[in-house]
Amino acid sequence: MKIEGKVVRVFPSDTNTDEIIAGKYKYDELDLNKLARHTFESLDTHFYDDCKRLKDPILVAGANFGCGSSREQAPQVLKACGISCVIADSFARIFYRNGFNIGLPLVECESMSNNVTRGEMLNVDFGKGVIRSENQNAEYHFKPIPQFMQELLAKGGLMQYLDARGGFTD
Amino acid sequence: MKTISEKILSKRSGVDAASGDIVTVPVDLVFAHDGTLPLAIQELGRHPVKFPKSAVAFCDHASPSPSEKVSNVQTLMRQFAHTYGMDFYENGDGICHQIVLERYASPYKIIVGGDSHTCTHGALGAFATGMGSTDVASIMAYGKTWLKVPETVHVEVSGKLPKSVHSKDVFLELLSRITADGATYKALEFYGDTVETMSVESRATLSNMAIEAGAKVGMCAADEKVEAYLAHYGRGDEFTPLYADKDAIYVDEIRIRAETVVPMIAKPHKVDKVVPVTELEGQELDQVCIGSCTNGRIEDLRAAARILHGHRSKARLVVYPASRDVLLEALKEGVLETLLKAGASIGPPGCGFCIGRTVALGDGEVALSTQNRNFKGRMGNDTSFIYLSSPSTAAASAIEGKITDPRGLER
Ligand code: SF4
Repeated sequence: MKIEGKVVRVFPSDTNTDEIIAGKYKYDELDLNKLARHTFESLDTHFYDDCKRLKDPILVAGANFGCGSSREQAPQVLKACGISCVIADSFARIFYRNGFNIGLPLVECESMSNNVTRGEMLNVDFGKGVIRSENQNAEYHFKPIPQFMQELLAKGGLMQYLDARGGFTD
Repeated sequence: MKTISEKILSKRSGVDAASGDIVTVPVDLVFAHDGTLPLAIQELGRHPVKFPKSAVAFCDHASPSPSEKVSNVQTLMRQFAHTYGMDFYENGDGICHQIVLERYASPYKIIVGGDSHTCTHGALGAFATGMGSTDVASIMAYGKTWLKVPETVHVEVSGKLPKSVHSKDVFLELLSRITADGATYKALEFYGDTVETMSVESRATLSNMAIEAGAKVGMCAADEKVEAYLAHYGRGDEFTPLYADKDAIYVDEIRIRAETVVPMIAKPHKVDKVVPVTELEGQELDQVCIGSCTNGRIEDLRAAARILHGHRSKARLVVYPASRDVLLEALKEGVLETLLKAGASIGPPGCGFCIGRTVALGDGEVALSTQNRNFKGRMGNDTSFIYLSSPSTAAASAIEGKITDPRGLER
């Protein structure tokens, strides 16, 4: 599985789920496409529009991305914004699990956030574990995404994956 | 040679599991609330709930419902729970984690909640962890889940805590040392004679905050205290002792001397920006909040009442008991009367102020709360500031309308 897209933003370490989508909205709005308009609202009011202008935008962040609450709306709104993949130095545990569960690819690649800039075109190969930047003429390496997690992404998420397999096989 | 997590996951998966292994386990309890269940219901689609007796729904976050939209979401939840015959907790029954402690959690159980603070139930020896709505939906549909067996950090707390210093201060001290991602993907296990003498409620504060260091679970041994707690709630038969093996393997060990712990405060907007209360004394406060799944239990309200007795709060004082049982107990003991006379506004059991959905701060306002998180905007206003502390520090600070050291003020 491969993705190619431009970096829409680079966020710092410890970006939390309240910043991704404020808790105050999640009780009111079940329509993720509407909720997505509030993504990163407290940090950056142009995030949604900028994402929509790009094809397969990529989000880059520092360490512990998605820390805080278990709200799945956080990866969901990123997906609804059109984000094709999040690359972070590291992810908070629940966010990481949620991302794959809903079919949003997440790549743990240390120090990417220090080296890339907004607007840069990246090519990400999940199976090989390589990110290529044409601008820099450089390659970055990460631990390849295991086969079953790539399948999960290909199926569109955990429920679809389990349904296809008929549940958990021990 | 197993940690508590390895023991539980080995027993429940039927595989001799060590940290790093991925196991499939049956889930004894899966629950979600008004912030996470609606999305799980959407994800479930046409799948029925496989084991409705192990699935529970709570209306606690935006409770009582503050708007028509929320009310409609809650109606959806009510109908869903009713359709499958699941236990359903109404507005005002209390916070999911407090009710799970009182009525469901026990040693060796596997508990998954659609809420990050599900780690609270490690205080009763349950392997309890928070997951997102899709995991909750998949467990409702299939009754099982995958878990990676975590590595464990051993936290040893020994000695006697000074008066007006609580388990909340111990955890904030720990957080100041290991930071907000210091235990990511790992388990914390709490030991030492300080933990042994602590009530289950105080341990629940430690376990509750494990996620604030990124941990998957916050485990305590299941000892006589746990046995007595379960018996108190009529569930004595659910008790099984549970301790780590003496030669268990830990990735790290942290020692805390209880005598040296002082009242601590986390500054806005991060939980690990922790300093002793003495560094912040005099900081003006608009609102003081006592409650949440971290510190809304009866012993927390008692601690606050011991300080507030005979005083009148200068800051706006908001108290939300964690559950109906806690509220009833506070009523019986006269704690409620003390708090009311001190100027507190008492909210219905539930999350209340913690997530800013039913009680919000004004622009630029400053609050001190006993909850577990102080992210920007957490209490409903992006321009406000949230400090975190123990109930004693909160009570002392309410009286003065400023951050105040509680030591020496307790009756
Ligand atoms: S009290 Fe606060 S932290 Fe606890 S479950 Fe409710 S909103 Fe979450």
